Amino acid sequence: MLLTFEKMGAWRWGLGLICALVALFLLLPIVFIIALSFGDSRWLIFPPPGWTLRWYEELFADPRWIESALTSAKIGLIVTVFSVALGLLASIGLVRGRFKGKAVLRTFFLTPMVLPVVILAVALYALFLRIGLSGTLVGFVIAHVVIALPFSIIAISGALETFDPAIEDAAVVCGASPWEARLRVTLPAISHGLFSAAIFSFLISWDEVVIAIFMASPTLQTLPVRIWGTLRQDLTPVIAAASTLLVALTILLMLAAALLRKGKKA
Amino acid sequence: MKSRIFALAAAGLLASQAAAAEDMVFTSWGGTTQDAQAEAWAEPFTAESGINIIQDGPTDYGKLKAMVEAGNVAWDVVDVEFDYALQASNQGLLEPLDFDVIDRESLDPRFTSDYAVGSFYYSFVLGYNPAHFSGDAPESLSDLFDLEAFPGKRTFYKWSAPGVIEAALLADGVPADELYPLDLDRAFAKLDTIKSEIIWWAGGAQSQQLLASGEAPIGFFWNGRLTALQDDGMDVGISWDHNITAADALVVPKGAPNKEAAMAYIAHATSAEAQAEFARLSSYAPINLGSPELMDSEIRATLPDAQTAVQVNADMAYWAEHRDEIGNRWYAWQAE
Amino acid sequence: MSSTFALARPRMRKGTGMILPALVLLLAFFVVPVALLLSRSVTEPELGLQNYRELLASGTYAKIFFNTFLVAGLVTLITALLAFPVAWALVIMPRLLAGLLFAIVLLSMWTNLLARTYAWMVLLQQTGLINRTLMQFGLTSEPIPLVNNLTGVTIGMVYIMLPFMVLPIYGVIRKIDPAILQAAALCGATRLQALGRVLLPLAVPGIASGALMVFVMSLGYFVTPALLGGTSNMMLAEMIAQQVQSLVNWGLGGAAAFILLVVTLSLYALQLRLIGEPKGTA
Repeated sequence: MLLTFEKMGAWRWGLGLICALVALFLLLPIVFIIALSFGDSRWLIFPPPGWTLRWYEELFADPRWIESALTSAKIGLIVTVFSVALGLLASIGLVRGRFKGKAVLRTFFLTPMVLPVVILAVALYALFLRIGLSGTLVGFVIAHVVIALPFSIIAISGALETFDPAIEDAAVVCGASPWEARLRVTLPAISHGLFSAAIFSFLISWDEVVIAIFMASPTLQTLPVRIWGTLRQDLTPVIAAASTLLVALTILLMLAAALLRKGKKA
Repeated sequence: MKSRIFALAAAGLLASQAAAAEDMVFTSWGGTTQDAQAEAWAEPFTAESGINIIQDGPTDYGKLKAMVEAGNVAWDVVDVEFDYALQASNQGLLEPLDFDVIDRESLDPRFTSDYAVGSFYYSFVLGYNPAHFSGDAPESLSDLFDLEAFPGKRTFYKWSAPGVIEAALLADGVPADELYPLDLDRAFAKLDTIKSEIIWWAGGAQSQQLLASGEAPIGFFWNGRLTALQDDGMDVGISWDHNITAADALVVPKGAPNKEAAMAYIAHATSAEAQAEFARLSSYAPINLGSPELMDSEIRATLPDAQTAVQVNADMAYWAEHRDEIGNRWYAWQAE
Repeated sequence: MSSTFALARPRMRKGTGMILPALVLLLAFFVVPVALLLSRSVTEPELGLQNYRELLASGTYAKIFFNTFLVAGLVTLITALLAFPVAWALVIMPRLLAGLLFAIVLLSMWTNLLARTYAWMVLLQQTGLINRTLMQFGLTSEPIPLVNNLTGVTIGMVYIMLPFMVLPIYGVIRKIDPAILQAAALCGATRLQALGRVLLPLAVPGIASGALMVFVMSLGYFVTPALLGGTSNMMLAEMIAQQVQSLVNWGLGGAAAFILLVVTLSLYALQLRLIGEPKGTA
């Protein structure tokens, strides 16, 4: 009854109301940012005295915005690949493995999440300066993988734990090789965990600013670094315009994905 | 897919190494200030000398210290706060400047030391939104600390830096020539009287937003930020009474890879023309004594230069000496 | 966890080989550099424990520690309360509605964190949209202080953290067989009983995963508290950032980080000891 929408009676409305409120909460700042991006008040006064496209013109006139967004996306994607791959392997070991000190290892894998990033930023930067990785893409990616990995491990091992390994054994008994079983049975079963891990990893990298300031070089300026500098110096609605474009892009991507899925089904 | 990623990675590596060749790196705080520095200083310098300037940023003191410690310095010239510049030179993090190249005589001695020259300077001034104060307008620093005559939120600079502590002491009646050594107990006692009404601003842009939106109708601002609000058509009152000067500095980190180019760049950036041009673009004041003559009288009138009669100079050397001690106390007091 | 055909996976008996890449990465690029930096907490400004003494003796720093755990706990609780119904609805709502809700959750994550936080700052101000709306409808006569205090930090952080809670809970609820709840109903359970005794307990692994991430992430969080919180409820990460970046005092900053690390990991270890390895968390 609680997992069948039609059978929930009045509870449907309760649940719907909560979701509507949460959705409103989630949308409020986004709608606000979109509105500001068209408003002609430089000082974020709302409602703005008038409307303008000026901020979009400024945004497109300065190629550094798009460059930094591309840099962020590039770093985020590479980080996601490595974070999910390493996280998957480590999770399998942590969940399925039988060895001493597993609890210690589990705790250990969480530590990058606990440590305030500014400490890690200084520490890694000092190391990178000595081994020649400072200001490089490789260094940047390593730093972000370190902080993304715990999220990846939590998401994937969470999914792995609810998956009964006997199913994998069954596949092996039916003639699949252990790796084939893992690839064709286990992976699809934990796809939700992998998806979460990927989203979290990308997001951590995409939004991270403190480490990014240390890892940045003139050719490696991510979007958050740029926004950070700009926000402190000038509260320009260009940032709102950039954010609005990202929202629009996201909506387009999501629509495309939805259509693609629909097309596949039909 | 994989090979693609590695190709991207390799491209990134190569690109960041190529940047180190014949050029020099200038690091500042980002935003419009750095854009103005690029326009007024870097572009003419490149045209003249053929040395290409790569803009990096934002300035980060932790990053600077780590670079110098590791002996792998990526920055040639850095824009830092003046009190930090003096402290960093005491800690041996900076190269001495070459005053054979830089013309020391032409620079404002308030903002010149062996290791740092001013980048630009500004004053902390009282600013307010006249619409909020129907009776008397706030005129002096004591009004800023007077909750009865001028109730409401007020905004102050969040970070530990010359300015707010001096203002509290001046408002409490300490004569300007007896400010130093700073009586911190007295300053914090004075600040305690308005602490519940303080909103802290962490960056110039935020201070403008707070005043423009009416969130904090009165406060203690960088003068250039108020001028920018006025230019934008906003009604802003400024009181220059006891305006407190502070400055940014140009420094060369110890072990900078292109020292010669760095000195030449600083010499250019602090020249009368470059300083005048930057002042025009940014509404910060020039530190070259010859710049004011080159500027429009209209712009000059908005600068702290015109307010020397009621001006108080923060003692940068004192701050450099006690920066850690004051900072620890400042942040602990804020968190109380 | 034991499986009938365990022999079919002999290599899994160890599992250490699979952990190795992540382990090596963290040893080289986390443990070594961080240990080097944290060692400065006992060598700077001079050899000794004075940084730790200073931190532990000061009432202000104690308050900052307390605030940090208070905010993290509050954010985790509120996030869980909001995320559970959302995750639940995502599983059972009609496709279109669920898709829309999911899109909104994802969308909120996509806008830049700094931009979102700034938007909240302006929205929550005394002269901001929310206070003006409340006053217009006569819900309050004076503007409510919503920002530069605990309320502001909590709102801003819940906003950022919500997806980190929704996704794991959603992953778990999705896998629950509706028949189990059907069975509960047949046994005469009311909806409330079914929720409290069946659905919630089954969703615990997801809630635990999410809570772990949100709580631990909140402890070390910097950007949102710095922008939305007042200085009187400063959190530890902000204090550390001041020490490291503004005062360039790596000794004291490192000491504070080390204490946070030790306290958090001890709490986690204690939790593992008390309730065993929580299912669904790493």
